[in-house]
Amino acid sequence: MPKPILVLGAGPAGLSASHALASVGQQVVLVDKADRLGGTPILSGYAKLVPSGMWAKDAIGGMVDRVKGDGAVRSVTSATVQGFSGAPGSFSAKLSNGEAIDAAAVILCTGFTHFDSVNKPEWGFGTFEDVVTTTQVEQMISSGQGVRCPSDGRKPKRVAILLCVGSRDRQIGREWCSKICCTVSSNLAMEIREELPDCHVYIYYMDIRTYGLNEDLYYWRSQEEFKVKYIKARIAEVTSNGEKLIVKGEDTLVKRPITIPFDMVVHAIGMDPNVDNMLISAIFNIELEKHGHIKRLDTYSSMAATSRPGVFVAGAATGPETIDDSIAQGQGAALAALAVANGNRVQAAE
Amino acid sequence: MPIHEKSLIRQENLIEHEKLEIDGIDVSGHWSTFIQTRVVTDYNEDMETEVAALPGGEHIHRCWQCGSCTNACTVNAINPDFNPRYWIYLTRIGMEAELLRDKDIIWQCISCNKCTYACPRDVNPEGVMKALSHWLELKGHTEKSPSMHFDEVFSEQVFQTGKIEEGRTIRRFFARTGQELNQDWLVEMIIRMVRHLPVKLLFAMGLQSVLKPRTRGWGKARDAIHEYVAEKDAEHRKALKLDPPHGPA
Repeated sequence: MPKPILVLGAGPAGLSASHALASVGQQVVLVDKADRLGGTPILSGYAKLVPSGMWAKDAIGGMVDRVKGDGAVRSVTSATVQGFSGAPGSFSAKLSNGEAIDAAAVILCTGFTHFDSVNKPEWGFGTFEDVVTTTQVEQMISSGQGVRCPSDGRKPKRVAILLCVGSRDRQIGREWCSKICCTVSSNLAMEIREELPDCHVYIYYMDIRTYGLNEDLYYWRSQEEFKVKYIKARIAEVTSNGEKLIVKGEDTLVKRPITIPFDMVVHAIGMDPNVDNMLISAIFNIELEKHGHIKRLDTYSSMAATSRPGVFVAGAATGPETIDDSIAQGQGAALAALAVANGNRVQAAE
Repeated sequence: MPIHEKSLIRQENLIEHEKLEIDGIDVSGHWSTFIQTRVVTDYNEDMETEVAALPGGEHIHRCWQCGSCTNACTVNAINPDFNPRYWIYLTRIGMEAELLRDKDIIWQCISCNKCTYACPRDVNPEGVMKALSHWLELKGHTEKSPSMHFDEVFSEQVFQTGKIEEGRTIRRFFARTGQELNQDWLVEMIIRMVRHLPVKLLFAMGLQSVLKPRTRGWGKARDAIHEYVAEKDAEHRKALKLDPPHGPA
């Protein structure tokens, strides 16, 4: 009997890799450490995804159902891999639930960890209740509760979204751009304006990077249709006067310091490497790249390859990634793993 | 002075006491110098909506501050303080006090529309400049500008008669702006016109100024225009939260 392919992590990349493999008849074991499938979009309760505008529970939930209903995919939840050995075609993985799995190849879709805003104490998260993260606002929207100040449940009149929290910041060792926060923030700003038309939303930015087609669909649209205000300033600190949050910074376009009251401050948190990456690196004996993400060999000469043959990687495990691209990478990694499972050599480009 | 060369410290923010003693210590003169804060403490959030409610200002919220308008600007080339990009920004975020510092030059826009063609977001900066001047006027921050007087004189005449007679326009414009009609250049122009223009044309022009002709059957159009103008006027004043215009609203 042919050996299955082990897919680690059941987020967008893992679900898409599993589905791609199952659709060509390949057996898959899908392992996730959480008690259910879906990965961060489901576990963190995302609202509407960009750029599709579909609700996460529908879009990613649909991918979960598709995999669950597929006989070729066996999913194992609440489990992690604790031991790993073997060579391409005949790996052996030991799970935390005691189970041993023989696999032809492995795809790591272990994703990322949200930046913990407590690590930027000057921006008030953890000190003031009304300083929240984009993830929390996503949850307010997806739960149907609506955007409210956590301190007293009032509707905010003024909301500030601070970009690049945990991104592009040498002070805290995070020199990367998290790629998605600009688009996510402009989307959230529009959702806030839609729910609370009297609420003014300000986005404090260093640069706006809603790359590709999202330029007009998100950045322009938030300005033109939803009157979201963008102010070029990196905020210095968030304090409180007892009643309102006070945001301090410098408006660099007019060269003036600002000290402005807000009801709610939202941190557009970035994507950290998965907190378990050191462990994953040790267990699978693979290299991490300089920022701490799983290192993917160059994409010109290899397919979704890590530093260990037969072990592949897809999605945000390799660095900040969008959901749509994670799904595409999952499909790519599936092809590479399938070649190994079929005993074929993945040829390197010369 | 170009905006990037401006000092962060404004002369009027420097405070110095000629004679000052604190706790028995003489700190007169430069020993007592301090700089007043230039911190922005709040935005006037109505400002953008108000300017957007006036003709020309409708697309101000599209601006992404690239500076194409200022770079293209004819007036900016002569006076670096004339900076549409900057004023659009101040209006959008509601830094009213800051905008008012420039109230005496904002109206100087000559409507060449170079900015309109340069703008990648179709903000229509020229329209915004008009709306801004209009806003400053309606709010009572500035006197009516000469160009506004001219527009009024011109359009009043058209509304009233359906025709335009240049001589009358100029006379009224000069009267409203308190200028002497007896200006060297005007006298010179008339002398040359009399000297060089065909007699037939001069006669026609003279007749026009004496007879004050109207477009035939203009009454209906006049009433419709007046009604429309009054309606728009009331709309603008309402958007700016001002008292309704004179007469019943």
